[in-house]
Amino acid sequence: MTIVFDTLAKIGFFFVLIMGLVVVLIWMERKGAAFIQDRTGPNRASIGGVRLAGLVHPVADVFKLLFKEDVAPANRHAALYNLAPWLVMTVAMSTYAVIPFGDYLTVAGRRVPLVAADLSVGLLYVLAIASLATYGVVMAGWASNNKFTFLGGIRATSQMISYEISMGLALMGLVLVFSSLRLTDIVAGQGDLIWGFLPKWGVVVQPLGFILFIVAVFAETNRNPFDLPEGESEIVAGFHLEYSSMKFALFFMAEYAHMVIGASLIATFYFGGYQIPWLPRPLIEANAGLILTLKLIGVALISMMIAMLFFRRAQKEKGKFGDARDREPVLGAGLWVLVAGGALAGLVLKPWTIGPVGADMVASLLQVMAFVAKVVFFAWLFIWVRWTLPRFRYDQLMHLGWKVWLPLGLANLVVTALVMAIV
Amino acid sequence: MSQKLVERLQQEFSGEVQAVSNPQGDETIFVGRDKLVDVLTHLRDTEGCEQLSDVVGVDYPDRDQRFEVNYLLRSWKNNQRIIVKVAAGEDEPVPTATGVYRSADWHEREVFDLLGVPFDGHPDLRRILCHHQFEGHALRKDYPIEQGQECSRPEHLFSDQDINAAARRATNLVTELEGAGDEIHPSDLLTVNLGPSHPAMHGALRAEVLIDGETIIEARTEIGYIHRCFEKEAEDHTWAQVMPYTDRLNYCSAMLNNSIYASAVEKLIGIEATPRAQAIRVIVGELSRIIDHLVCVCANLVDVGALTNYWYLYNVRESIYESLEKLCGSRLTTNYARIGGMSHDLYDGFETEILHKLKEMDKGNSDVMKLIARNGIFLDRTVDVGVINQEDALSFGYTGPCLRATGLAYDLRKSSPYWGYENYDFAIPTGTSGDTHDRIMVRMAEMVQSRSIIVQALENIPDGPLNVDDHSVVMPPKEKVYDSIEGVMNQFKLVYEGIQVPAGEAYGFGEGANGELGFFCVSDGTGNPYRLKVRPPCFPIFSSYAFLAQGGMIPDAIATLGSLNIIAGELDR
Amino acid sequence: MTSDLVFILLALLTIVPAVWVVFSPNIVHAGFALLFTLFGVAGLYAYMGADFIAVTQMMVYIGGVLVLVLFTVMMTRVPLGKRANYGLDRFVPAGVLSLAVFGLLYKSITSVDWGAGHTEAVPTVAEIGTNFMTNYIFPFEYVSLVLLAAMIGAAILIREEKFSEDEPENGETEVQS
Repeated sequence: MTIVFDTLAKIGFFFVLIMGLVVVLIWMERKGAAFIQDRTGPNRASIGGVRLAGLVHPVADVFKLLFKEDVAPANRHAALYNLAPWLVMTVAMSTYAVIPFGDYLTVAGRRVPLVAADLSVGLLYVLAIASLATYGVVMAGWASNNKFTFLGGIRATSQMISYEISMGLALMGLVLVFSSLRLTDIVAGQGDLIWGFLPKWGVVVQPLGFILFIVAVFAETNRNPFDLPEGESEIVAGFHLEYSSMKFALFFMAEYAHMVIGASLIATFYFGGYQIPWLPRPLIEANAGLILTLKLIGVALISMMIAMLFFRRAQKEKGKFGDARDREPVLGAGLWVLVAGGALAGLVLKPWTIGPVGADMVASLLQVMAFVAKVVFFAWLFIWVRWTLPRFRYDQLMHLGWKVWLPLGLANLVVTALVMAIV
Repeated sequence: MSQKLVERLQQEFSGEVQAVSNPQGDETIFVGRDKLVDVLTHLRDTEGCEQLSDVVGVDYPDRDQRFEVNYLLRSWKNNQRIIVKVAAGEDEPVPTATGVYRSADWHEREVFDLLGVPFDGHPDLRRILCHHQFEGHALRKDYPIEQGQECSRPEHLFSDQDINAAARRATNLVTELEGAGDEIHPSDLLTVNLGPSHPAMHGALRAEVLIDGETIIEARTEIGYIHRCFEKEAEDHTWAQVMPYTDRLNYCSAMLNNSIYASAVEKLIGIEATPRAQAIRVIVGELSRIIDHLVCVCANLVDVGALTNYWYLYNVRESIYESLEKLCGSRLTTNYARIGGMSHDLYDGFETEILHKLKEMDKGNSDVMKLIARNGIFLDRTVDVGVINQEDALSFGYTGPCLRATGLAYDLRKSSPYWGYENYDFAIPTGTSGDTHDRIMVRMAEMVQSRSIIVQALENIPDGPLNVDDHSVVMPPKEKVYDSIEGVMNQFKLVYEGIQVPAGEAYGFGEGANGELGFFCVSDGTGNPYRLKVRPPCFPIFSSYAFLAQGGMIPDAIATLGSLNIIAGELDR
Repeated sequence: MTSDLVFILLALLTIVPAVWVVFSPNIVHAGFALLFTLFGVAGLYAYMGADFIAVTQMMVYIGGVLVLVLFTVMMTRVPLGKRANYGLDRFVPAGVLSLAVFGLLYKSITSVDWGAGHTEAVPTVAEIGTNFMTNYIFPFEYVSLVLLAAMIGAAILIREEKFSEDEPENGETEVQS
């Protein structure tokens, strides 16, 4: 029964992580786009005057989409039309079952691996689930009974099956290097050092594979420059053109969930997953007290600095708006002072005298944080690329996938196999 | 030279061609209907008139042959223009010129639509601006203007026969190219409506395309969604009152419309704007050109999926609009020029402000160039997409950046200078292959030239009066109106009766942001225009869109459309 | 008890859409129903502890074959929703053939001892790999030869302009475009 409980807890963690990250990513996309485009970005929605730099907007969006009328085309195929958004979302969430987000956590003397399902065929599972993502899109495109959605569905299908192959080929090279299909093994293998100083990350041992993989992941997530299935200037909105209200929201969230997964896969396969370079777990556990102390001090200092900035803004903008928004900097300063106070209060508990149980928890926590940080960075990469590049044309995309990426993937595999055989 | 052209024609067609005197200097001849095609062919082949700029129909109900059709021809090679007139009675068909000039297709359809002049031998004589259910011809003088009509049914541009024929053609084409291929069945083809409500159809344009996969087998276009018959409206107003309506033609560069319209009417009256007014027209005109190009390029880049460039360019546009708003009170609909001058002078500090904004423009343009100039995806999407060669471009009536992208250094500011453009030092950027990439880059380069013209004009702007000293044209100053009976009378006459433009005809033109913008003005001596015909640059350009889109893919068609810069306001009028 | 319930659910997931596949007059519906059947089969494999086969089933059949089937169905001119001709001339041979196949399957299924139903998953990937490269090297290479032949065939099909006398029917559409 404990296994069931553990698994449920891990599923819960992932659900919270993905949904939380989706909200953060939507915010990050808007603010990031605004930053790239010399604009302010969303800054209107507020709760009692607190705008959280636009973070309230995703919340407002959720309520808006929940209460909007669900407009559906008259001649849709009702069953498939309703199924498609759920399928897209379910598939997006399922990949996470095999991604390790930490090494292990010791709970009441048991070592609980921090992965929901440690499959021996984890890598194949990732590829299998990725190929399922096509169905939701095709279903949506076909069941909406609209020419533009149909074209979007067709584009999505051909794009996904084309890039799945180069994605698989890129990963095969990685499998050769780490000789396992199990994701935990792959991540554990990346904790080593080559020649004593270079982390044995996937990107170091498989640089070409990494480039192939990241492009294939971009294509699989349907993000610019591969956003042909949506292609708003060509086929209006593509496969989700006829969806509204919460059904549209599911597509929208699935896009960001796919981004989280894409970023997690990049981090897991090529950037050491939860591994912190040059800081293996035993080292963390040995110095847990020191690390925790430094961390608390660091958090306290940074929070104090942010609080100071808020105070200065509060003084400068006193009564600027003449409404609830004036409270915002004061509340912000208060919040960060609280965080700093909490961190300082933690110091009272003498963290440098931490025991082995605590050391274990600190190590797990640090690793999970490293993983989340990598995921957020690569999610930002998705956003960055989207607001920089134009979109491919259908035939150019196919050309790249079949005539450039596929031979490169094969070459990468052969070269890797040769090197592995010699070394 | 030009006088000789008419003489040469008279010699060539002895007795068939009569010279028509035109005090405004437009060379004009009159030919019989049966000789029209011969004369046009001769003009094209031996006199170098590559382009049919416009076809203007005028209705004179009192004459025996009530319709007069004017063919406005232009030669780039010999830098000359000529107007060929024919007359036709009601139901007397005019032979079509579609065999001579490809642009004649849409121009003749327009004359047929608005005046009901039938064209003999025209391949596709349908209504173009008005709805297909519309009855009557709006520009006829006896059209009951109060009458409303209800037009409700949309038009299918492809019938089943058309689709069958297209499938057959496509099959033949495949067989021809590849020796053998699958037969393309009509049910393989999908008709897709791009527009009138589609994110990439800037304005309300409609193109119905017949696609096989995503390749466009055949495209057909429909326009007129925002047709308001500007030309009929103009006939109901005084010459001065038409000015605000010209804002709504190309709403991206309203200043140019204002100024060129004012110049056209000044030409008919026989006056010339003061040097200061001309310099101001140059400055605001070039600013408009920059705005127009900015909008076109940024929208085009959005069409190929590069969204960020939009803000880099649009911010500049907004910034320039702030100055224009300060200058004349509104952003888009400026209404700034006046017949005989300008509405008012520049404000203090205009010069420094504009120089500052030009710096912003440099920054925006260089940011965009950094993003696109060497971007492989952008080059793949635009190079060799929507290609039109020089000959076709001239025959279709291309002017402006789209024509220059084919490599022809043809700019009305150089070839027939007005507003003192001969005094400014600027180059004509040209492309090489006439594809989408060249059109974008020509626009980017033209902005730099416009910038240099503005700087020169701001440095050398002459002092002196803003308006011509002619009280039959220009409103008296307010002090005079309040203080003297003559002033009151002057104001009263100008407002109630309008400017008394002498009877006659004149074609005034200038280099609009998107090509030759012309106003063919006919006056009967009353205060209102008898006939005012606009020559919108994008009308002939859009007539080639189906030709450009065919054979490409949907994304190509979208990228091409963006680079043609079709503005529905002047297209549909 | 729980495992029986899981088995029954998986079996239903396999059989009900399979019936739909057979009786649906609309080929796109049939395609989507096949998705659930194949998914159910993958679930059965996983239930029996054959995780490698289960995931391969998903990857190859659901992610590859069925997507292509749907893609082709959507790209070609199939009279969607039109009922096929169910005349007696087709019904009788089809019925005889189905009965024969059913008998054959029944015979082979009942003659094999299938052992216990639910088994815990044991990692088999390494073993399968070793076996492929040692005991079963000949069938493995043979299959790869067949695949190579198929790939060369596809490559020839898309170069139709040079082999025009062959007049190929319909090459691999996604490669072609």
